[in-house]
Amino acid sequence: MDFEAGEIVALVGENGAGKSTLMNVLSGLYTPDSGEILIEGQPTRFRSPRDAIAREIGMVHQHFMLIPPLTVAENVVLGLEPRKRGLLDLTAARNAVQKTCQRFGFSLPVDARIEDLTVGSQQKVEIIKVLYRGARVLILDEPTAVLTPQECDDLFAVMRELAASGHTIILISHKLREVLAVAARIYVMRRGKLVAQVQGSASNERELAALMVGDARPSPSIGSAKRDRGELLLEIEDLHVLGAQEIPALRGLSLRIFASEVVGIAGVDGNGQRELAEAIAGLRPWTSGSIRFRGEQLRNPSPGELRHRGLAHVPEDRLSRAIIAPMTVEENIALGRDREPPFARKGLIDFAGRRERASRLLKEFDVRPPDAQARIGLLSGGNQQKVVLARELDLAPRLLVVVQPTRGLDISAVRAVHERLLLARERGAGVLLISLDLDEVLSLSDRIYAIFEGRITGELGRAEFDEKRIGRLMMGAERERPPRAPSANA
Amino acid sequence: MGMFPSLFRAALPSLLSIALALLVCFIAIAVSRSDLSIAANAYLQMLWGGLGDVPSFLGSGNWSLLTRAWGESAAKAALLTFTGLAVSVAFCVGLFNIGAQGQMTVGAIVAAVIGAKVALPAGLHPAVAIAGAAGAGALYALLPAVLKVRRGVHEVISTIMLNWVAVSLVENWLVVGPLRATASGDLSRSGTDEILPTAELPRLLGSLSRLNAGFPLAVLSAVGVWFWLNRTSNGFEARAVGLGMEAARTAGIDVRARVYQTMAFAGALAGIAGAVWVLGTEYKFPATLGAPYGFDGIAISLIGQNHPLGVGAAAIFFGVLRAGGTRMQLLGVHKSFPELIQGLALLFVAGRLIWDSVLRRSAKRAVPMAEVPRA
Amino acid sequence: MLEVIEAILFSTLDYAPALIFAALGAVLSERSGIVNIGVEGMMRVGAFAAAVAALVVPTGAAVGAGMLAGAALASIHAYLSIRWRSDQVVSGMALNLVALAGVTFLLETRYSPTGTPPIAQLQRWTVGGIDGVPLLRALSGHSAMTYLALVVPAVFHLALFRTAAGLRIRAVGEKPLAATTLGISVSRLRYPTVIGGGLLAGLGGAALSTATLDRFEQHMPAGLGFIALAAMVFGRWTPLGAFGAAAFFAGGNALRIGLASSVPRVLEIVPQGFLLALPYLLTLLVLAAQGTKSRAPASLGIPFEAEGK
Repeated sequence: MDFEAGEIVALVGENGAGKSTLMNVLSGLYTPDSGEILIEGQPTRFRSPRDAIAREIGMVHQHFMLIPPLTVAENVVLGLEPRKRGLLDLTAARNAVQKTCQRFGFSLPVDARIEDLTVGSQQKVEIIKVLYRGARVLILDEPTAVLTPQECDDLFAVMRELAASGHTIILISHKLREVLAVAARIYVMRRGKLVAQVQGSASNERELAALMVGDARPSPSIGSAKRDRGELLLEIEDLHVLGAQEIPALRGLSLRIFASEVVGIAGVDGNGQRELAEAIAGLRPWTSGSIRFRGEQLRNPSPGELRHRGLAHVPEDRLSRAIIAPMTVEENIALGRDREPPFARKGLIDFAGRRERASRLLKEFDVRPPDAQARIGLLSGGNQQKVVLARELDLAPRLLVVVQPTRGLDISAVRAVHERLLLARERGAGVLLISLDLDEVLSLSDRIYAIFEGRITGELGRAEFDEKRIGRLMMGAERERPPRAPSANA
Repeated sequence: MGMFPSLFRAALPSLLSIALALLVCFIAIAVSRSDLSIAANAYLQMLWGGLGDVPSFLGSGNWSLLTRAWGESAAKAALLTFTGLAVSVAFCVGLFNIGAQGQMTVGAIVAAVIGAKVALPAGLHPAVAIAGAAGAGALYALLPAVLKVRRGVHEVISTIMLNWVAVSLVENWLVVGPLRATASGDLSRSGTDEILPTAELPRLLGSLSRLNAGFPLAVLSAVGVWFWLNRTSNGFEARAVGLGMEAARTAGIDVRARVYQTMAFAGALAGIAGAVWVLGTEYKFPATLGAPYGFDGIAISLIGQNHPLGVGAAAIFFGVLRAGGTRMQLLGVHKSFPELIQGLALLFVAGRLIWDSVLRRSAKRAVPMAEVPRA
Repeated sequence: MLEVIEAILFSTLDYAPALIFAALGAVLSERSGIVNIGVEGMMRVGAFAAAVAALVVPTGAAVGAGMLAGAALASIHAYLSIRWRSDQVVSGMALNLVALAGVTFLLETRYSPTGTPPIAQLQRWTVGGIDGVPLLRALSGHSAMTYLALVVPAVFHLALFRTAAGLRIRAVGEKPLAATTLGISVSRLRYPTVIGGGLLAGLGGAALSTATLDRFEQHMPAGLGFIALAAMVFGRWTPLGAFGAAAFFAGGNALRIGLASSVPRVLEIVPQGFLLALPYLLTLLVLAAQGTKSRAPASLGIPFEAEGK
């Protein structure tokens, strides 16, 4: 690949294609086994991030590399600290950061602690960090994943500015629409190899997706299949929930979920979705309001109780919240039901029964390799998620709550998960889909609630889906009439 | 029986650590006395001291030459097993139980009181005393568990603090105050009153040795812990909590209950150690616990890689070593050598990964770190 | 009454340095993300080395020997924890046990089971001018250890919050991966902090055997290392906080001894055992009250793996 000064080049590919790995090599975090990197014609080797920084390459990581308790100024100058008489010169640090901000049109509270800033601001700090070090090549890894549409536009403006002033921007993204909007050239990677290069102005999403995947089969979606809604499963009224550090996360949220439908929650990260899922699943208490599940008022339920009543939960953070990596696949399947048949009999583990059930589920859900005794940590993300779904769906739940079900999965795994969710709906379950991927929410949901700052700002039935409108509702820029009972027909 | 090769491989780091510790101390003795044969002799004496004076026995046919040593070794091994299990059981739910010393102290004093002040028939008396000790230890271990679950206080610090609290209150108050030995009227006796004969743990080999029922009890406990962990769903849930607390909670396991229950179990085991010590060897609570049995338990547990059978094996090995340690003195080698061997073995076990790479085992099964992006 | 307070203040200033240095050593190591339970062991070898060295060299130099002994033990901990990413609590605990048994062995084979022969204690200095002032004169007449213990925390605080090195240490303790992306070597920062922690802990041990007492006594430091850890937690992993907490504990201990000797009736009402247990109970109470708001460095205890290299 090659990159020229003053241009914005994008790198696209599925998860696992090798985009981030490649960029980690370029930023000095990894060492390549073979091949070369040429900067202005000279072969270069990076032995550490230090070398890359010295060659004016700066990486803005997808997961921020910021230190929460330290201030903006401290984070920016870390590693290149201005000193005065042996001590840290904080004034000089502050001034330097201010100057860099001004030069590129940012405004940041220099003395604020990172942990007190919004995600959009934190990203700006990341960008200032690399600019402070004199980066001429900026690598942005999935920068828009956590931004509101507004903040995205801001970012694109910044990118264009920087390109215009001679910087080179390498954009890694899987958001094809955005990539087409900003990038002059687009490289497509698949399975660690470069497979195509296209001009941004000359291509479209369909073509890119096809190049990325190899075949252009689209993800399943509900389409226009109408379905009659079933009984009222979940009724939440005026729910107030406290989040981290006692800050209110839900401030009077109300919604309803019926059987045989998929309800999607659309919202920018940090507006209460996580706490909503946790509250419903019994993992977080609420301070006021009520939740009724299948007609019964819930009072501080425990997750175990809820599962018995028919509520299944697939949390985000698969590795830490859904599976126990060092345990085997069958043990993971047994979690939570380990005291009952077929997993146990009278308090003693029923190994044969457990094995049999696990094998059956592995086959049904097409988990590879279908080895019940393999350590689940060794499976790929997609297969792990299949196991989790298998476990939850084997409960034959009435309500399935899934959060970020396809994060980090490759396209075929995403497809498989979506099929399962729709199958559950088919079989009469209600599905609450909480996802930051608006496309996913749009393609799977019968109804969408938009959430902003802990409240529902609007509700749309499938016929009314309008991305721009949902975007506005997600950002509180438009408020519907207060959420009322959904219209009589599904 | 494909289990054995893999069991052996799993035990390898511990075995190698012990071997290396033995080697290092051997060299230390040899160098400090500038005499290889003294070192060899010392080790031999340690062995005979622990397993019985084999040469003399072969010469005279006097069984007591063997059984006496077995009694000493078994007594020490039993205590190490219980405290070792107390630590390893807590590890199952992911808690580091440094408080075995305090739990043992509390158990011991309760056993001493029940043994001395309560009149019960011979079969029941030790059982009740042991049960009381177990209960006391369990309650004492619940304290740090509650602090951890409800207030997030790290158990390493709280158990260390509670150790000292137990020692202070028991040894510096109860034993010299309200519970001081008064029955005989002889105020020069330290410790508590002697326990009644009905409370004594039966000697298994009569007058041939001090081998008492504590040892088989310890072995049974180790097997019991193994069974609990691997065959019951209760143990399964505890393991799940230890390996992935959040996932266990999300899946509906009652994490709090498991944590409390397991810590109580651990404390009970340490309490039983105290009971066995009082009822089997000392017959009262003497002025002080004397040895850091609780800390030894930590070493034993880690050397045994927190596996109940490994703990049992390590306990027996070091029990033999300890019992034999007194004989080393005859050669001018200090009797605290077994403790040093134990400490070094633990240090070498701590460097597990070194062994892993030495044995070329692939330790690279690392679950991908969430933070470094992988495309 | 005033004399009693003065006496307690005086003995606090005598006893506190050991605890203060050990607590600071713990803070240094843990701030960079490495748990250091081994402070007790490092104090023990430091106390022993200093007492033994003082038999042949001037006591002042012997203190250096103590510091080196602590650093030596710490370097093992550093090597295991950083290079081999072993469990840091286990490694620290193992070193405690090795120090316990090893020093006992050396003590009993070369000297006597109860302790080393007496040495010349560190000289006590009189601070001119305040001899006549009640209460304040308790500040005079201490060894260099005491005065050092009043200065080092401030220096440490300055170093941690106002130097580039201090910023990097704090960064590495919170999010080592972020530091790596900026070209900072995590291990190159952690080795010095752990070994530095050992130096301080060794200094604390040396304070016991050369200033507080005049020899190594068989049980040293008798759990002081663990109180130092409590002081570190109390003080929220900051130098000044640890200093304050350590001083508080030392003061409490001095209070207990002072009461026992000057008001023996107290012991009839409150048994010695309770008073001995008091500092530990207080620590627990404060920890329970602090709850989950402890400000431990975020990466504490998590071995750092440099990816892809």
